[in-house]
Parts: sequence; C-alpha cells; structure tokens
Amino acid sequence: MKDIKITDPCYEEKARLLQLLSLVRDPELELNIVDLGLIYEIEIDKEKKLTEITMTLSTPACPAGDYIKGGVELMAKEACPGFEIRINLTFEPQWSADHISEAGRQELGW
Amino acid sequence: MEIAERHIPAKKTVLPYYLTAAACLVIISLMVLFTVKDFDGHFFQPHLLAITHLTVFGWGTMVILGASNQLMPVIADKKLYSERLPVAVFLLLVAGTCVLVHSFWNFELTWPIFVGAFLILTALVLHSINIFVTVKRSSVKNIIIDFIMTAHLWLIVTALIGITLLFNFRFGFLPVDHLHYLKVHASIGMAGWFLLLIIGVSARLVPMFLLSRKEVNIFLTIAYYLINAGLILFLIEGMILRTNSGYIWFISLIAGGILCYLFYIWQCYKSAIRKKMDSGMKTTFIAISSISIPGIIMMAYLLHSRGAPVSMITAYGYSFFGGFITTLIMGQTFKTLPFIVWMHLTKPDRLQELQPKDLYNEHLVMLQLGLYLPGFLFFLSGILIHSPYLMYPGCVMMIVASVIYCAHSVHVVFQLKNERYKNY
Repeated sequence: MKDIKITDPCYEEKARLLQLLSLVRDPELELNIVDLGLIYEIEIDKEKKLTEITMTLSTPACPAGDYIKGGVELMAKEACPGFEIRINLTFEPQWSADHISEAGRQELGW
Repeated sequence: MEIAERHIPAKKTVLPYYLTAAACLVIISLMVLFTVKDFDGHFFQPHLLAITHLTVFGWGTMVILGASNQLMPVIADKKLYSERLPVAVFLLLVAGTCVLVHSFWNFELTWPIFVGAFLILTALVLHSINIFVTVKRSSVKNIIIDFIMTAHLWLIVTALIGITLLFNFRFGFLPVDHLHYLKVHASIGMAGWFLLLIIGVSARLVPMFLLSRKEVNIFLTIAYYLINAGLILFLIEGMILRTNSGYIWFISLIAGGILCYLFYIWQCYKSAIRKKMDSGMKTTFIAISSISIPGIIMMAYLLHSRGAPVSMITAYGYSFFGGFITTLIMGQTFKTLPFIVWMHLTKPDRLQELQPKDLYNEHLVMLQLGLYLPGFLFFLSGILIHSPYLMYPGCVMMIVASVIYCAHSVHVVFQLKNERYKNY
C-alpha cells in the first residue's frame, strides 16, 4: 500500500479507514492485514459516495479469505457511512512475505 | 474475483478423523505399556504387528487423511470433489483397522483379517480417488501436488503388498521368506507414503507459517526424483530381482532426497520473517530434526560388521513412527485443528475478536512435548540396550502425553458447542 499523501483530498477518510482496517487480522498469520500488506489501494470518491478497496490474500485459496473480506467490508462501512463499498480482489501482484511492513516484521520478531 | 468459502470442507470430512486418531494414540500408548517385553524380542510377532498397524492406520494415516481433506482444497484451489466419500472412507478405515488389529493381536489369520485388510484397501482407494479427481479438476500444478499424488500411489502399492503378504501367510506362494517382503512393505510405506506426503504438505505449510521470503523449489524437485528413484529401484529389487544387494544405493538416493528437503526447510527458516515460533512450530521442527534418528540407526545397522542385533530394526521402526511421525502430528495438530474449528465458529459478516490461538492452550502443547520427547528417548534407548528400567518410565511419560494430547484435541473440537462462541 502506497503512503497516503497529506495533500490527498480524502486524506482524513483514508487514514481513518486504514486505521480501522488494521483491526482486521489474518487468523493464520496472526498479523493485521494492513501490516501484512494485503491492502493494495484505497480510493474514495466523495461525489459518487464510493469507496473502492483493492486487496489481495496470502494465497488465492486462503481458507480465511471470506472472513478477511468480510472484515474489510465491515470496517469500510464504518469508516465511510452511507458510501457504496466496492472490494476488488486481485492476485496481481501476488502477495509475498516481502509485502509485510516494517512494523509487522517487528511484531513477528524478524 | 470470488473468494473461496466454497473451499471449506464440512466438519464431517475432517473432525472425526482427528478425534479418532487422538483416541488411537492413547490406545497405542497403553498397548505399548502392556507389551514392553515384546519390544525386547524379534520385531515380527503378533503384538508388535498389531501396534504397528494401529499406529499406521489408526493414528498416522487417520489424521493425515482428515488433514488432507482440509488441505487439498487449499493446495489445489479447488473444492473437494466429494464430501460424502470422506465419511465412507472414515467408516471403512475405522472398521478395517479394528478387525485387522484385533486379528494381528491374536494372530488369527482367518477370514476376518482379510475382510479388515480389504476394508482398509477400499478406504484408501476411495480417498485417493477423491484427491486425484480434486487435483484433476484444478488448474494448479506444482511439485507439492506431485508429492501428494505420488504418496497416494505408494500408499496403494504398500497396501497391495500388505494384502499379498497376508495371502502368503495362508497359502505360502511367494518364492523367498516372508521377512524379505515385510521389509519391502514397511520401507515403501514409510518412505513412499508417510515421507513423501509429509514432505509435500510441510513444503506448503512451513514457509506459510514462518512467512518465508525464499522457497528453493529446485531442491524440492530434486528430492522428489531422488526419493522416487530410490523407491522404484527398491521395489523392483525387492519384489522381482530379489538379489538382496544394492541397498546402499537405494538408501543413498532416498537419504539424498531427504537432505534436499532439509535444505529447503532450512532455507525457509533462514528467510523467515516470523522468527518467534509457537509451540506447534517448535514441535514440528523437533520432529523434522528427529528424522535423523531412524537414519542413523539404519546406517549403523548396515555398517554393522557382524550380524546386527534385531533390536536395531525394532528401534529403527519405532523411531520413525514413535519419533518422527508422532511428534510431527502432535505439533501440527495444534496448528491446523484450532484453525479448522475457528473457521466453523466464525461468520464473515462480523469482525473476528476470536482467533484460532484462543481455542487451544500453548502451555499444554509444550507440556505434552516436554513429556513425550523424553518418554520417546527413554523408550528408544530401552529398546537398544534391552533395558525395561528405561522403557517403563518412558512408556508412562508417553501415556500421560497422549492423554493430554487427546483431551486437548477433544477440548478444541468441543469449542464448537461452547455457548460463549455462539455469537461469533
């Protein structure tokens, strides 16, 4: 996930959404999905009232995929009430452990 | 893109296997206690045959079949072909194992033992069909799937040799003595079924649990070909040529394959982001290291200048099943079972406060390991130096460990009925 620029017109909403998304944990890897690097992009269109999240899973057949996606949707609704939530699941680029953030690595004892 | 809730198999395809295997482990430990003296004699005798087959089918294979019903959809990215077959497989395997083990224990080589053997063979064939069709319908092709598929083929080969041996007991039609074929039967089962399957599954799970950044797949591929080459040559020699030579080459090929696998695991560990290992992974790594014990005993047996004591063969088999296989399963149970139960407890439309690690007790897993490992080493040393003073305390420690394991597994599964988690 690229850093959210402070000049971004939706900076506040995106930052809040990211904060809420970090409450969603991957049960297998025991780390929150933001530090895990599963969130690729967040787009918020205030005019269209649309929140679009592009994300991935650790593997295409991740058995916890449904739960993670559910958690993302739930958090997006809380961060952007009244907005349409669209979640795009992609496997390009494929997730690898290199996607894990510095904070995540520290939590995992790297 | 759709996500795979559809990949989660029903409880009935997995959990009965885990629970039955846990109960079998306790029964095996008790059987060992009552047959300690038998471990001091020749390995080819009724009680040891019964214990070995209960270990193989009731414990090792039972839990592996259940786990593979859960894991295959993840590995192949395809729903399990049939969810009814695993139920039939489970019932056939339980019934077949009970009859076979009872017959071996009393050494009654009459029609029931053949019925038991054919029930088990049917179960294994049905399970293999389910796995093969699941993989055939999947677009995922990789070396891990090759390991798993080939292991299933070796499982069927092992069972067929076993049934041939049973007929040979009754009708004595094989050209050389029974112990020769028993060696082939046991070795193909150990290296072909257990080893290949464990390598395949662990090659997927270990880097996933450790969050490894580097997977040296070429070493897995080399391991696959080396082990299979060794097994094919061993099978041809053992069943057709029967020259009783070349063992050093077959063993070297298989040992070379194991070394490649260990190198792969080492690279996974070295590049792992998660260095803090939980009890399940610690146990798994101890188990993987313990594969060296049967290897060392086998080499010592082969290098023995005069006739090696028969206790070395017993120790070799015991260290493979009691050490490597049992420790590995004990560790991986608490990596997989809580997660399986968690998936059935939680609902995707709620934020999950409950995590799989909340469903089991880390300290209990460490206690179980702390009791089992010295118990196993005591017992193994007792076999090698013919000392009941080491075997009995070892046995008691293993019984306590197996009771803890069984109760803990039941506790995890029964969280499904826990009212506290109903709202998750």
